[in-house]
Amino acid sequence: MTTAARTPAPARVAVRRGRGARRRERTAWLFLTPSLLTIAVFMLWPMVQSAYLSFMDYNRIQPAQWVGLANYRELLTDPAVGNALRNTLVYAVVVTPVTVGLALALALLLNRAIFARGLVRTAVFLPFIVSLAIVAIAWAFLLDPNIGLLSHWLDGLGIVSTQGWLSDPQLAMPAVMVVGIWKTVGFYMVMYLAGLQSIPTELYEAASLDGAGPWTRFRNVTWPLLSNQTMLISIMAAIATLQAFDQIYVMTHGGPYFRTETLVMLVYRVGFEDLRLGYGSAISWVLLLGVFVLSMLQWGYFRKRAVTY
Amino acid sequence: MPDMHGRRTRRGIALAAGLTLALAACAGQGSAQDDDGTTGDGPTELVLWHGMTGPDGPAVQQIIDDFNASQDDVVVKPNVMPWDVLYQKVLTSLSSDDGPQVVAMSASNVPQYASKGALAPVDDFYADDTWMDTSALPDAAKHAADFDGTAYGVPLNIAPMMLYWNKDMFEAAGLDPEQPPTTWDEFASMAEKLTVDENGDGKPEQYAAALADHTTVPIYQMLLWGTGGGVVADDASTATLDSPETLEALEFWVDQVREKKVSPIGLSGADADKLFQTGKAAMEIVGPWMTTGFDEAGLDYGLAAPPAGPDADVTLADVVAFTVNAKASDAQQDAAKTFFAYWNSVESQKTWADGSGFPPTRTDIPADELENPYSAVFGDPELLGSAKVYLAGVPSSGTITDSIFYPALQRVLNGDGDLTEVFTQANADVQAAIDKG
Repeated sequence: MTTAARTPAPARVAVRRGRGARRRERTAWLFLTPSLLTIAVFMLWPMVQSAYLSFMDYNRIQPAQWVGLANYRELLTDPAVGNALRNTLVYAVVVTPVTVGLALALALLLNRAIFARGLVRTAVFLPFIVSLAIVAIAWAFLLDPNIGLLSHWLDGLGIVSTQGWLSDPQLAMPAVMVVGIWKTVGFYMVMYLAGLQSIPTELYEAASLDGAGPWTRFRNVTWPLLSNQTMLISIMAAIATLQAFDQIYVMTHGGPYFRTETLVMLVYRVGFEDLRLGYGSAISWVLLLGVFVLSMLQWGYFRKRAVTY
Repeated sequence: MPDMHGRRTRRGIALAAGLTLALAACAGQGSAQDDDGTTGDGPTELVLWHGMTGPDGPAVQQIIDDFNASQDDVVVKPNVMPWDVLYQKVLTSLSSDDGPQVVAMSASNVPQYASKGALAPVDDFYADDTWMDTSALPDAAKHAADFDGTAYGVPLNIAPMMLYWNKDMFEAAGLDPEQPPTTWDEFASMAEKLTVDENGDGKPEQYAAALADHTTVPIYQMLLWGTGGGVVADDASTATLDSPETLEALEFWVDQVREKKVSPIGLSGADADKLFQTGKAAMEIVGPWMTTGFDEAGLDYGLAAPPAGPDADVTLADVVAFTVNAKASDAQQDAAKTFFAYWNSVESQKTWADGSGFPPTRTDIPADELENPYSAVFGDPELLGSAKVYLAGVPSSGTITDSIFYPALQRVLNGDGDLTEVFTQANADVQAAIDKG
């Protein structure tokens, strides 16, 4: 009797708790639905499609034809892929550390009380919010050999580019890199600034009491406590540079003679100009795989160095 | 009568396919037209895409307005956008169900789409006099958009390239301002006087010519014809970039640009126009569309046939053709041909020539009936008679031009590689592109 009377009680509690949890869960899903739908429609489904397409010969007009691994076999020996891979790596290897280093330097500088700090911070951040296409067009004008202001000044300094920065095979890549760095450095600087503000000032006071100079303070307090930011920024910057496209598309279109053609540029040329969507998909999957592996390596490296305080 | 449900499903699939390609997804809008023109009692509607955004735009609009007002059966609805945008969108639009019925495109791009079945043949337009007497159209224009023996285009315009020269700069260089170079040798000797490097820094302040090496009408390719060479043979199936004639022409022009510095390297078509327009280059070979801009810039310039090569005196004809979407209904295809005939009528072509400065697409309009002086100059029968269309009938023309020829040319202009080696490799690449189709 007692047992019989007692048994329903926990069951009811369990049911009530279950209902509450389920309701909370339902609410969570409800809030997540718009994002999940967007991701599914605009990211997952296209990815599935492009994975499928990468085994096809397809030009959008004629029906697709199954070719198996032919596209992947072709890209292994395609000199255009080798060239684009080389350009992409050169771009990433130069631009990533320079961007991260510059962002940190700017953040340290602009974290102090200097003249017109807000104005300078805004000036550094501004390029990030302007459309890259517009930025690239503006830079193309600045660097134009005949009407470009920057070319004019550089000529005056004796730095003469006989045929314009963007059509000179030696200078086109550096020019594109400079624009890429200038464009994104402000965003990473803001992330570093946030990190700097979150470091407790007591730590600096304690370090100073122990007689630590500016360099020691940076070395032993600032840098280790910024390692979470550095991890995030390095991974984000590396992914972004491996996908460099817009400024190259507008400024050089991959030229002169493919000197600035990155993998994403190549995907665009092969897919949308030569109408080989299957082959373009195969190249983008190889790129995705590369980015994934690299990100995992970076994550593994930084995870061991993560700090909590 | 189309099955409404079937059509909606197909559109759904087209939409899903569009989403897979983020860049392609934004194409095709603006052409949204729900009825296919075959239902109801209203007139047949034709959506027409073209890229005449420049001074020639109003002339196009004028003829379309005249056509729409002239009859009640067909309404042409133009959609104008820059050419590069049009070419980015055209593939997606032709493969969707809501695409335009008529697309104007450079004849050299037609085989690419015709070979894939995206365009409807227009052979019957030329077969008899049902639509118009096509014997008045110049041969180069009529067959510019042929592929595999079938016609896929009707000329919208024909534009032979001419040499523009700046008379003031010729005079300042001690040359006769009324005597442009007529041969390659004359060009070379005059160019020497017209290229000025005042401060000796290796970058001339004044160039003899503005020769564009990418994103332009194929001027370099045309120059190869001067020795009997070329990118491909006239049969459209053999690459000839490594022939002795082609290499001879390349050596001459690469030497002119690289060693003699007659033109900057790395110019796009727009850069070259700007250079001539601002008086920094004394000569440019380009089509009739630049006369307005150069007049407005106040240049005193002359027009002549491009300098003749040692073996051939031939100029390039750029032809824009009207094409018909393969998905257009029979009624729309007929309506399109009615419009094409109207476009190429004597009356319309006078409107076109006077409004644009282009020569008429007809050979039977006497020069004295044209008000715009440039139309008569570019319509000179001798010039049009020697005009040739580049890469006619080659489906992979875009790849050959942008991914093979221009990069190879830029390499040798930059001194990066031996000319013969680079172009022997380019020849193999062109042949492979042709064979792939």
